[in-house]
Amino acid sequence: MNETFSQTIWLVPLYALIGAVLAIPWSPGIIRNTGPRPSGYLNTLMTFIALVHSLLALREVWEQPVQYLSFQWLQAANLSISFDLEISVITISALLLVSGLNFIAQIYAIGYMEMDWGWARFYCLLALFEAGMSTLVLCNSLFFSYVVLEILTLGTYLLIGLWFNQSLVVTGARDAFLTKRVGDLILLMGVVALLPLAGTWNYTELAQWANTTTIDPKVATLLCLALIAGPLGKCAQFPLHLWLDEAMEGPMPGTILRNTIVVSTGAWVLIKLQPVLALSPFASNFMVGIGATTAIGAGLIAIAQIDIKRSLSYSVSAYMGLVFIAVGTQHDVTALRLLFTYAVAMSLLVMSIGGIVLNNITQDLTQYGGLWSRRPISGICFLVGAASLVAFPPLGCFWTLTELASDLWLSRPWLIAVFVIVNGLTAFSLTREFSLIFGGKPKPMTVRSPEGLWALVLPMTFMMGFALHVPILLQQWGLLPQWQDLNLTVVIPLVISTFVGVGAAALIYLNDKIAKPIVLKPKALQDFFAYDLYTAQLYRVTIVFVVGLVSQIIAWCDRYLVDGVINLVGFATIFSGESLKYNTSGNVQSYVLSILLGVGLFIGIACIPFINQLSF
Amino acid sequence: MQLEYFLLLGAALFCIGIYGLVTSRNAVRVLMSIELMLNAVNINLMGFSNYLDPAEIKGQVFTVFVITVAAAEAAVGLAIVLAIYRNRDTIDMEQFNLLKW
Repeated sequence: MNETFSQTIWLVPLYALIGAVLAIPWSPGIIRNTGPRPSGYLNTLMTFIALVHSLLALREVWEQPVQYLSFQWLQAANLSISFDLEISVITISALLLVSGLNFIAQIYAIGYMEMDWGWARFYCLLALFEAGMSTLVLCNSLFFSYVVLEILTLGTYLLIGLWFNQSLVVTGARDAFLTKRVGDLILLMGVVALLPLAGTWNYTELAQWANTTTIDPKVATLLCLALIAGPLGKCAQFPLHLWLDEAMEGPMPGTILRNTIVVSTGAWVLIKLQPVLALSPFASNFMVGIGATTAIGAGLIAIAQIDIKRSLSYSVSAYMGLVFIAVGTQHDVTALRLLFTYAVAMSLLVMSIGGIVLNNITQDLTQYGGLWSRRPISGICFLVGAASLVAFPPLGCFWTLTELASDLWLSRPWLIAVFVIVNGLTAFSLTREFSLIFGGKPKPMTVRSPEGLWALVLPMTFMMGFALHVPILLQQWGLLPQWQDLNLTVVIPLVISTFVGVGAAALIYLNDKIAKPIVLKPKALQDFFAYDLYTAQLYRVTIVFVVGLVSQIIAWCDRYLVDGVINLVGFATIFSGESLKYNTSGNVQSYVLSILLGVGLFIGIACIPFINQLSF
Repeated sequence: MQLEYFLLLGAALFCIGIYGLVTSRNAVRVLMSIELMLNAVNINLMGFSNYLDPAEIKGQVFTVFVITVAAAEAAVGLAIVLAIYRNRDTIDMEQFNLLKW
């Protein structure tokens, strides 16, 4: 069988990188006369090439055994670091998802960034992201996954900071970089500690090692916790979740990527590391705990937001929490499937919201209203995205959520409750958003709201079609269970929670009899969730305060103690020179005296041996 | 009479000379103290020449040279004192501390 495309799959990240480099000349400072649009077209083209390449490669590897490629990257002394690639159906499907979503986001950006001059920078960063994520899904080495994660962290910083003349953008980019960096650094500790233990960074070999190893449980626990910390920050899990909220200051097409795949990069590494993480039951429980806390907490926060982008971003955290639960309970394949269905649904939601935000200027949910009659396409897309995200048969996430829930039914039934709650909360939150945006009467901000340009609507509708076809695709791939195999004890609560969430939200927000804006009886509780558990203040009084205090103390020590000791030497020298010069009295007789004293002293010292010999 | 007594006398005279050299405020008296010290040296030379080298008496030759050179030195010294005196109208040693720190 011809394997041209699957053997050259490593070209896919390079297409994006070439696009990134080619976009640079259209920066306003270099090509001054033509405007920045060609950079966008070029990158879209490169992404399209990557998409086609991955598609052809997928055809080749379909039902073929997994292949591995390996390039030597560094050979020094006893350390040999190779760049391993895995060519399998899973990696190439992920590649397809990455390049597909990038392609869609880039077309979307052609419409969204219409009135913006920064296309070169924007598309360059999007392409960097695409390259990074393609490398990440292809590479079969923890070390290079880490490398890519760090590059993506830098990319996040730059992409969020695209419009850096806005102060909130600057602080948001800062927080996103630092928060993700902290996680990545702890991940690095785990990565470094893993090499002496396992002797390899190759995921496949790590899995074999994890099956046979008998390391100390404490070591295993610490190692696994360190390995979890990276994805914890990447996936915006508690308590490293604030960055995703602030990252919503960035441009919308970037948000599509961030909410769907960038946060999934952490989950991807987590899924790949699942055999290692299974070494420590404590780490698995920790993951489940973090995932469950985040899922429920973020689900509640999402309901209390009035900023549409932020409301969605907390749903992202919640779903990543579900992925954490899946990995923590050793369901890595299901976690991958959940990532897929989730990414499709969330991209659809963000695209629909982006069109709304672009034409109505405001992002405030309380300023929206009555768009259903004027924006039916966006509305339908939002509905399909929402239905695909929650357990709404027969759309995407229904299958993955129920699959996960039925697998957990016997081992950890209490997690079913988490799933049901999160599903209900997400359903409530999405319906609330839908009702506030599309339902009710038009408000001043939404009186005139035309549907977006073709570049906004086309990718959105295409994605809607794809989302609708996800169940058919899954069935085609043989990933769907038979109807009679469904575990009704978990399916029914999940579906009921969906309908309860949707129904409750629709009842509250589409009902004119209930006064808007809604105020909860304990106002403090509403504020608690609206200000996302006061995380910003929490950071400020804990870690930021401590680090700030310590750095001030260290700066003080450096300035006054360390510098002071050295300066003291100089001062002492100056002082002694200044005081000793008075020896030069200008009086000849004192010089004579000092000469005589010197001679006398010298003679005295010279005579000491003779004096000692004298015996009295 | 022994050599030691001459040497002790020379040493005593030398010490007196040093005392005078270091403590005198009058520049001429400083020169006089130097003369004392030179004479103490001469006593030493004469003593050694007499007791240790009576045959060739090289010490006495040295003494003659020292007296000669001391005379020349005193002449130059007095000339210097006179030169300073013409400028500064004093020969007080404590007024000559211009070249300090």
